[in-house]
Amino acid sequence: MPRNSVGMLVAALAALAVLGYTRFGAGDFGASVIMLICVNALAAASLRFVMLVGELNVATAAFYGIGAYVSAIATVWYGLPLPVALIAAGLAGALVSVLFGYVTLRTKGAYFLLVSFAFAEVARLVFTRIDAIGANSGMTGIFPAEPLALWYPTITVVVAMALLAGLYGLERSTLGTVFRAIQNNDSVVQSVGLNVLVVKILCLAVASFVAGVGGALHAHANNVISPGDFSFLVAVFALAYVKIGGEGHILGAVMGAVFLTVLGQYLISLGAQEAIFFGGALVLAMLILPDGLYGIAERLTRPLLRALDRTPPEDSVKRSTAA
Amino acid sequence: MELAAQLLINTLQIGVVYVLFSLGLTIIFGVMKIVNFAHGEFFAVAALLMAVLVNTAADEFGLPLWVGYAGGFVGAVIAVLVLGLIVYRPAFERYLRDLVGSFILSVGLLLLLQGILLEVFGGVPRVVPRMGDNTISILGGRITELRLAVSLIALAIMLLAYLLIQRTRLGMALRAMSEDHEAAMLQGIRYRRIALYGFLIGSVLAATAGALIAPLTAITPAIGGDYLVKAFIIVIVGGLGSITGAISAGFLIALIESIGGFFLDPSLTTVALFMLVIIFLVLRPQGIMGHAEK
Repeated sequence: MPRNSVGMLVAALAALAVLGYTRFGAGDFGASVIMLICVNALAAASLRFVMLVGELNVATAAFYGIGAYVSAIATVWYGLPLPVALIAAGLAGALVSVLFGYVTLRTKGAYFLLVSFAFAEVARLVFTRIDAIGANSGMTGIFPAEPLALWYPTITVVVAMALLAGLYGLERSTLGTVFRAIQNNDSVVQSVGLNVLVVKILCLAVASFVAGVGGALHAHANNVISPGDFSFLVAVFALAYVKIGGEGHILGAVMGAVFLTVLGQYLISLGAQEAIFFGGALVLAMLILPDGLYGIAERLTRPLLRALDRTPPEDSVKRSTAA
Repeated sequence: MELAAQLLINTLQIGVVYVLFSLGLTIIFGVMKIVNFAHGEFFAVAALLMAVLVNTAADEFGLPLWVGYAGGFVGAVIAVLVLGLIVYRPAFERYLRDLVGSFILSVGLLLLLQGILLEVFGGVPRVVPRMGDNTISILGGRITELRLAVSLIALAIMLLAYLLIQRTRLGMALRAMSEDHEAAMLQGIRYRRIALYGFLIGSVLAATAGALIAPLTAITPAIGGDYLVKAFIIVIVGGLGSITGAISAGFLIALIESIGGFFLDPSLTTVALFMLVIIFLVLRPQGIMGHAEK
């Protein structure tokens, strides 16, 4: 599809530019903002991936936190190389999410939302209770092992892009179609012989793998983690990125992360309160921007793309998770 | 025996506040089919206002404490009522029966209100001047006069809310609405109007809970959060939208917590409660009284 390939080309060029800038152009501050954007985009994409089956998964925050702690343990206690720490973090997030999902994904809608919220808060409480991982004060000295330390910002960008591309690929695959079918009507999916619970658990596990790696990248970028970093607000901010970017496309989540992270860094440096900023952004988005930035971008570029591409535009069916 | 009486008295004290708080949440879910994450902020607004008003009445005007208590209670409830009206019309009314939209909206509101409360009231814990500090003994269990009075008032409000839902025409409309809103509309019930009433009743219940808890604890703008997690556990166990479920689950959770709090410490009790919810979900996903969404 030409329209799609134009978009992908733009995204790939932008990715290359960011990569080059991170490695050669950005100072320490620039690199830290780019890493923050990558980590936030991963959390947002993870949350959005579960929205494909129609569930709001606040427990994203918990899997993100589990990933951060597991990778910190791998690095600080055992001195394992960074790739091992990242993979361990992703697997830990996915594993816990399978256990969590096996019980809770039988419920849906409001019940799943509330249970996942409670899980996020309970996970945070558990972190504060384990003395071995620093209880309330958390863990420090989480530095990527030596040969890769200099390249860490670049690695963060590459890993984030690879994971985002992977999620996008899955979303476009047959599996993604099944996810969306479950969102629309799970009884129909069940009736053709697919096990809805297993598919939903699979979706949650993939998303939680990404959240876990995101948490691990966060831990190694910050060098310090504490339970307060992993409250349910992680999921709420992720939702803000998804919602403000636009939930119709994975690039929406990325755009939201870029936009809000940069704006947030700027405003908070001026002394604005994080809570008021994100709260205000969410309320405003719900009142005036229901399709998000991606929706606006799409509307603005549609005439241009149409000129480039003479084939009739595909149906732009709005994908909303609203029941 | 004395221990049992004491634990029951503790259960009553914690339970009534939990029930008022979760009743509001469950009524709002029933009519609007939304989960209001900002519910805890309404509670916090009332608690903070109660603290400010009682202190002002005593310090600035030299009024007797009970006048301050009564005035503070009324003022807090009215303020929350106004706040409810302000956020309902332009915002919540557009996201009736939209779980995702209303979640985002109410979480945004939660953060916004929490930030504003922190700006306005500051983070320093506030205390309401005490009255009724004498201890009474009931069957060997001990409770202060103030705590007993608060529990009885909360019980009375709970009973009023229950009668309102079960016995009045408005209550019947609310119940019809949460059962099947289309059938209710066919009967000539005006959905938007009833949804507004349901939202306001729910918010006022949160306000009464906040105003009643104010004299018993130190209040910060973050106080809503702790109650919100507990209330979620209560409505999952009791069944979303169920009145009797919220009442029975509220007292059940309070009982477990007061027994658990006696032997464990509070944050471990919350973890234990969550484990209970998980077990509960495996055995009975639709709650004690509720029906799981189909």
